Amino acid sequence: MSEVWAFSESVTIANEVVSAAKEIAVACSGQAVVVEVGRARSSVSSPGKKLVIKGPGLTDESPEMTAGALYLAAREAKPAVVLVGATRNGKEVASRLAVKLGSGCLPDLSKVSAEGEALVGERGEYAGKVMTKLSSPFPCVAAIKTGAYPTFSGTGGEILEKDVGAVARSSQIVAVTKKEVSTVDLRAAKVIVSAGRGVKKKEDLEMVGALAKALGGALGCSRPLASDLGWLPEECHIGLTGVNVKPELYLAVGISGQLQHVAGIKDSKVIAAINSDKDAPIFQAADYGVVGDLYQLVPAIQRVLSSRHH
Amino acid sequence: MRFAVCVKHAVDESELKIDPSGKPRLEGAQAKMGTFDKNAVEEVLRLRTALGGEVVAITVGKAEARKSLKEALAMGADKGVHILADPGALDPSRTSELLAAAITKTGPFDLVICSEGSSDIYSGLVPPMVAERLGIPYIGYARKLEVAARTVKAERSLEESLESVESSLPSVVSVVSEINEPRYPTLIQIMQASKKPVEELTRQQLGVGDVQASVRIVSMTAQAMNRKRIVFEGSPDEAASKLVDAFASEGVIPK
Repeated sequence: MSEVWAFSESVTIANEVVSAAKEIAVACSGQAVVVEVGRARSSVSSPGKKLVIKGPGLTDESPEMTAGALYLAAREAKPAVVLVGATRNGKEVASRLAVKLGSGCLPDLSKVSAEGEALVGERGEYAGKVMTKLSSPFPCVAAIKTGAYPTFSGTGGEILEKDVGAVARSSQIVAVTKKEVSTVDLRAAKVIVSAGRGVKKKEDLEMVGALAKALGGALGCSRPLASDLGWLPEECHIGLTGVNVKPELYLAVGISGQLQHVAGIKDSKVIAAINSDKDAPIFQAADYGVVGDLYQLVPAIQRVLSSRHH
Repeated sequence: MRFAVCVKHAVDESELKIDPSGKPRLEGAQAKMGTFDKNAVEEVLRLRTALGGEVVAITVGKAEARKSLKEALAMGADKGVHILADPGALDPSRTSELLAAAITKTGPFDLVICSEGSSDIYSGLVPPMVAERLGIPYIGYARKLEVAARTVKAERSLEESLESVESSLPSVVSVVSEINEPRYPTLIQIMQASKKPVEELTRQQLGVGDVQASVRIVSMTAQAMNRKRIVFEGSPDEAASKLVDAFASEGVIPK
């Protein structure tokens, strides 16, 4: 029976990748196998078999070692598909593994299945303007977009250990600093209020942040506020090259709505926008909009919210 | 030092037109050097200023991809390498094969720099694939870069952490777009770019066979923006009230 492997160095994302692996396994009458590199984590759920790859000094902190270890194990077990969570490290793992296996690599899939002896998957391209369906024959490697699949939970069966021996590593991690703001928090937020260039001073972000808090949500921003102005950490930057989010409510405050920004929010349930320019592209991407001065509208929304809570 | 920077002649996503049938019109679509590739070029130019040496910009594409090489040359790259291939027949794996072969042929290079991804497809697979094929270290998503005689140190920006890493030269590095603010070439630089040398390389010259790409595009569909596009009017208080009503009736905030 062909195996569909699921791996991520992140526990949260590993549990999502397992869900994707299960769907493929059903479509190709195969078996989803959770693969761990260097260590077994009980917090990573498994629907069945779990394979733990071991080796001297082997750690999933190094995408290079992870790819090397997955390759050595895959060369013997010959899985039909290896799925990797599309984190920044995960994409390096997928790239390297595909080159080693001489197989195709499908990146950032939001939907995945099997048709015959091939993997098919969909991904957003051209800043989210186009959904492209890709296909690659087995065996192949794919990276599953973060947040695209539900978290799998369940307890699996047997745990197999496989020793692959020494795996090469050519770069060394000198230090790791936890980011002040985690992108995970934004991804999980039910409500996001996001600030853009329409906000004139850094201090005014407090007003937008207060609205986010009143709505029980998190504060995000468009690229210029993080990258160019440095008013908020890069982890708050929502968009194609930043965080991709899908909250219940996304409220864009003073954001013009460039394609790259919209690409990061288009899966939100409800999108609302406040902008002083009635022709701002954000209104095309929004369910609800108000054309006006954010310095009047943000406090006005605050007043409406507090009057209704009393 | 010798630096290589890989740039893509990328479809300008903001100009991409959609057919009435819902298909993107990629034939003849406007293209330019990828937005994030400018950050890679900028970074390599800064390194050249600090360390001295030569910057070679490399691209893969048909004849029109020369335009993107010229953009890199106008920014300040010294030479161009144009790998002649039809990008429509390539996947990241095949592209990385051509780039790695060209880097080997026109090398040796101390450092190969790429952006985190092309602004059109944004797969981000090519840079690590190039490193894997060349068998040299790879540092992905660098937001700070320090290059010394034999080593490269970088601060990688990951989802939840910043990671300081070090590797020996030669290495491949990809940079995130927040690493710098790319320069705009002057008119004179744009004119001078046409005089800079560009080497054209074919598959035959690189010794890379025309193997069919493993990844095939099955279909491409325009993503409809199915949003309600309701605009509320009135005074700030009236509009705010309507907005909150709408959120409540959508059930996205507590009633």
